[in-house]
Amino acid sequence: MCGIVGLHLKNAELYPRLGELLVPMLDCMASRGPDSAGVALHDGHAMHVVKDVGPPVEICVRNGIAERGGFQGIGHTRMATESAVTTQHSHPFAPTPDMAVVHNGSFSNHATVRRRLARHGIGCTTDNDTEVASRFIGHQVAGGADLADALRMVLKELDGFFTLLVTTGTQFAVLRDSFACKPAVIAETDDYVAVASEYHALAGLPGIGDARVFEPVPEEVYAWTR
Amino acid sequence: MAAAPLPMDARRPSHTFGPQTIAAIQRMAEEGHYEIRGWGAKRVLPTFDDLVFLTASVSRYPLEGYRERCETRTVLGARRASRPLELDIPITIAGMSFGALSAPAKIALGRAATAVGTSTTTGDGGMSEEERAASHLLVYQCLPSRYGFNPADLKRADAIEIVIGQGAKPGGGGMLLGQKVSDRVAAMRTLPAGIDQRSASRHPDWVGPDDLRIKIEELREATGWEKPVYVKLGATRVGNDVKLAVAAGADVVVVDGMQGGTGASQDVFLEHAGIPTLAAVRLAAEALRELGVEDEVQLVVSGGIRTGADVAKALALGATAVSLGVAPLIALGCNGRTWVRDGVAHDATADYRALGTEPGYCHHMHTGRCPVGIATQDRDLEARLDPEAGARRVANYLRSVTMELTTMARACGKSDVHNLEPEDLVALTVEAAAMAQVPLAGTTWIPGRS
Repeated sequence: MCGIVGLHLKNAELYPRLGELLVPMLDCMASRGPDSAGVALHDGHAMHVVKDVGPPVEICVRNGIAERGGFQGIGHTRMATESAVTTQHSHPFAPTPDMAVVHNGSFSNHATVRRRLARHGIGCTTDNDTEVASRFIGHQVAGGADLADALRMVLKELDGFFTLLVTTGTQFAVLRDSFACKPAVIAETDDYVAVASEYHALAGLPGIGDARVFEPVPEEVYAWTR
Repeated sequence: MAAAPLPMDARRPSHTFGPQTIAAIQRMAEEGHYEIRGWGAKRVLPTFDDLVFLTASVSRYPLEGYRERCETRTVLGARRASRPLELDIPITIAGMSFGALSAPAKIALGRAATAVGTSTTTGDGGMSEEERAASHLLVYQCLPSRYGFNPADLKRADAIEIVIGQGAKPGGGGMLLGQKVSDRVAAMRTLPAGIDQRSASRHPDWVGPDDLRIKIEELREATGWEKPVYVKLGATRVGNDVKLAVAAGADVVVVDGMQGGTGASQDVFLEHAGIPTLAAVRLAAEALRELGVEDEVQLVVSGGIRTGADVAKALALGATAVSLGVAPLIALGCNGRTWVRDGVAHDATADYRALGTEPGYCHHMHTGRCPVGIATQDRDLEARLDPEAGARRVANYLRSVTMELTTMARACGKSDVHNLEPEDLVALTVEAAAMAQVPLAGTTWIPGRS
């Protein structure tokens, strides 16, 4: 009930075009998530998270996303399931200053994981299930885990259906649960790695005709390092 | 000529002094003692039946029954024991003594537990050879009476359960009426045969959590820090007691609600002491959470658990496993109309009648005259129970309950039954909502919280 997109640019010539490439991808996902949308962009100085209630294009125009450059970006369109439609409940969730997480699916034991995190002093600001997953991943990484290992811990601790996409600036990672019911497609060329919930979001990317396009398999962490 | 029936207004029963109360008072006046019986509380109580699951639909997704696995594996006692119990299912068999139960019954329970990959438990009477041999995983109880408790059996147990109380009679000790104290039972307990036995209600060598800590350490040292130590409580002041059991060093806390069964107890205890399992499980889980040990110390809940729905609800409210006593006995044949030998069914109705009861209503474990050979020490009666056939029935029952449990967990979108959580439940009554601290169905209202 959500759409996710992401770009990890390998070719520096594309860096100025990060926003320009990402916004149409996000717009393609508008019907999957009409309630709210958001992006997280790494531009080499900091991670910028922009999210709001409403259709993705309006939010992107209002915030000049297409004009922004960078080397890694993820985006999300939300169809709210169990928590409210507000900016705070929108994705991406940023558990740390340089990590952002987007999610398509639904966790079935997030209340338990939320309590477990609280015991470690990790509080959530919303009742959203993705925030719990993002804080969990952030907590694992803060404790010294590599991002791929942190995502493998998600497979152990969090139950339910999910495709997760994480950006940290240095790493860009995708993970699907064991059921792999929530769609995801990855396209990789020498210039970039692109991820989306549906193929048509990737169709406008430069050189997509020659890209290696594949569906991530269940329970496999796909990670790219910069 | 029969007298004409009384008019309706002449037969208006008193609620306070109803026909059963009148009969009880008349019996006490006649006999000069209170009622002792088996089974457990018979009164209407708030139960797990007052809760329902919010299974998956559009916002959450269910798991498929065939292809998608739902884990039931359960580990008990990893907090401090080097050899925790690894069970295939979160359903165990509770402590019931050899003495209260016949040898064939104990063998059948042990074989059934072994067949489904779970543990069974000794009881207030020690460990019998047949029981040890039949049970792959056997929890050895340490009770106030210390009947049959010895270092040799301690060493060959798989876990140790210090019993402080029982849900059927918290604050009271066990009972075994003389007719069940056979020569063998008497020898195991170092008691005279044929004499009513009343177990102690307090441990002889420690009172309170500070000294319990020493006792637990002693048991650990005696068993090389290998075996999990459980502490079993009758559910009364659950929050305090669970916290104290944890402080004393328990690896596993067993909380037995007031619907728990017994071989023999005072009726006044069965009906008027302790709190329902529904309230107990929530209080116990809350206590573990308050201590921050809910992932380290496992909660086992017992008392009136019958179905996979009960198990799922107990797990959702915070139990890691449940323990069953009366239900496996029923699976074994308790309250059955017939007993079977060499494939031939024999009607037992007349034997129930001789006890003043009928199949479906029998609570006469205390008499030792069990018509189906389960709660007896009588040679002829116990021969009515074929341990092999009984074990098959109990294993069938436990497998069915497990399937009900995983069916419900899958429908809630869980790939592990332990991922059920209180948020998956709502209550049908205000009482259940208050006790379980889950919202009343159709509202967000949790009594006492908002």
